[in-house]
Amino acid sequence: MTHAEPLLQVRDLRVDVGGRHVLKSISLDVPAGALVVLMGANGSGKSTLGLTLAGHPRYGVVGGQARFGGQDLLAMSPEARARAGLFVSFQAPPEIPGVKNNLFIRTALNAVREARGEAPLDAFDFLGDARAAATRLGLPEAMLARPVNDGFSGGERKRNELLQLALLRPRLAMLDEIDSGMDVDGTRAVVDLVQSLRAQGTAFVVVSHYLQLIESLQPDAVLRLDQGCIAEIGDLALAQQIARTGFVRAADALEA
Amino acid sequence: MDHARADILAARHRLQDAGWIPRDAEAFRHLPPPPAAVWLGEAPDAASAGCDAHPLSGAGWTLHPLGQTPQGRVDARWLDAADPAQRKELFAGLPLPIHPDGAAPGDTAQHDAAPFAWVHHALCRHGLRLRIGGEHDSGRGAAETVWIQLRHQPRSAVEAPMLVIDVQDGVHCVLVETHHRHHRDGVACEQPVVQNLHTHIRLGAGATLQHLRSVQPGAADRVAHHLQLQLGPDARYEQGLIATGSRYHLQRQVVELAGDRAEARSAGLLLAAGADLEQQVRMHHTGERTRSHVEALALASGAARAVVNAHTRIAPGAADAEVRQRLTGVPTGGQPRLVLRPHLEIHHDQVQAAHGATWGALPEDALFYARQRGLDERSARGLIIEGMASALLARAFGDPLFIESLDLAGLLSQAVAQHLSDDPTAPTTQQEAAHG
Repeated sequence: MTHAEPLLQVRDLRVDVGGRHVLKSISLDVPAGALVVLMGANGSGKSTLGLTLAGHPRYGVVGGQARFGGQDLLAMSPEARARAGLFVSFQAPPEIPGVKNNLFIRTALNAVREARGEAPLDAFDFLGDARAAATRLGLPEAMLARPVNDGFSGGERKRNELLQLALLRPRLAMLDEIDSGMDVDGTRAVVDLVQSLRAQGTAFVVVSHYLQLIESLQPDAVLRLDQGCIAEIGDLALAQQIARTGFVRAADALEA
Repeated sequence: MDHARADILAARHRLQDAGWIPRDAEAFRHLPPPPAAVWLGEAPDAASAGCDAHPLSGAGWTLHPLGQTPQGRVDARWLDAADPAQRKELFAGLPLPIHPDGAAPGDTAQHDAAPFAWVHHALCRHGLRLRIGGEHDSGRGAAETVWIQLRHQPRSAVEAPMLVIDVQDGVHCVLVETHHRHHRDGVACEQPVVQNLHTHIRLGAGATLQHLRSVQPGAADRVAHHLQLQLGPDARYEQGLIATGSRYHLQRQVVELAGDRAEARSAGLLLAAGADLEQQVRMHHTGERTRSHVEALALASGAARAVVNAHTRIAPGAADAEVRQRLTGVPTGGQPRLVLRPHLEIHHDQVQAAHGATWGALPEDALFYARQRGLDERSARGLIIEGMASALLARAFGDPLFIESLDLAGLLSQAVAQHLSDDPTAPTTQQEAAHG
């Protein structure tokens, strides 16, 4: 990667899902340690962008490029992207019946640590870190011993995503509506964790509809996505305008 | 002629008169067993019946301590079936196999494997008889659990071992039974084995048996295990089976829920990678308010043939019976043949019954989720399969402490890793590295 190249660089990315053009042309840069907020109406392509960057096999890239840390992201397997430091939180994290949460996270963490050239964590050390992180995030410790997301409420699933984020410490995290289903304490936990990781150099792309969270995160840039394209780029003022007028009015204003 | 010799000849005559299991027999239609000559060691390709495994070197049945069982709770008798007196003791009180032609219509399914029993009678040389709970119940603690581990290693290239277990009234027993063809210890027969095992288990009134069975034969072995269980009033039987495929591998169990309120649960994890494997589970409800639950998870890959045959029969007098069957088949690579056959036969109006079979791939969303967190595809698949298997056994045993105390997670992890490594179509580490 050259000094001028951002951590994530996306150019004219076009993606088909089930034969439908969902992303028509997406270009964006996310420098290391930056925080970009992505806003857009339902169906505008926000989640598609996240899952495409994560390498979901059902999301077909038909054009454009994406580079991450100086590497061709689109040529990498999903796990190679994760090991390179890309974390994508899921809007609806799936259940994995029978697999204990602590085993799942420790296996993932050790795979990432191995890729970084770090020694694997044993169960004892991992559990100490996991318990401390779970407490900070308001996730009951018992959730560590339960199967992954099995019987978790919506908020607990989101907190479990945050727990993995906290332990994996990626270079860039894309958080897709991480605040939905969260109570006030959960939203505060999101802000605290993002600020803490950002201070250590993690970059963020945050998808959210809620101005209060966006204001708390103090983004470097706000992007508005519309029909698979970046329609507008601004700062916090853009998010405030969208919160006041909605996506339809914001699009009208741009066309006028 | 002595009793043992006469018994052997009678079994051979029965087999000769009635013949082997026909190829179109309903229960064995999808995976017909090899002919009688194979099980008798008389097939042209049969290996020498002799074997280098010395009886004292660990071959046959060995009993190992497990947990903390008070002295005198297990009475074990190794019996020589060639000795008339010992043979009589070994087979005492056991039902003789009946041919379907001579059975009542409802009992046909129960006896359709009778030829296996005749072959067993003809070839059986050794057996183990266990009486669990001790001679007198007055000395037993109310909440006492008897823990036993039984290992079996073949002692002959063609064999018909025997196991008889009698769990006394009110006794709670945990039994871990393993049949692993690992040659690390160098104790077992090294040749491909033909094994026709018959096990008879009786649970007295209020007795419980938690039975974990792990059967992992060699690739060239031909194995048929037959379990006959009789449950008394308020008895409870829970079985978790981990079985892997081989040249021919049948796991068959017939459970008689004769006592009122008896309960049986069976969970089978079948791992067939390019090999054959069949599980047959028969539940026969004759007692009132009896309950049974049959569940199986069959994973098959390559050119494997995996069959699960579940048959639950509720007899006319079995009021308020509750029965469930849940069979799941997951192809994990290649083009395996997976057959799931849930079957209910209900002869009473007042019962609750449900059955179902589902075929499908591993959950795609969970696979992708695990890979997004950094697990390679092979590890992700392994973890998800282990989870499905672990959930299956947890439902059968229903006691997380029991599962943890037996290190089931380790056993499952090993078996699943072996299954995936035996799958010729699974992604290799090299392929993944190249992709990444």
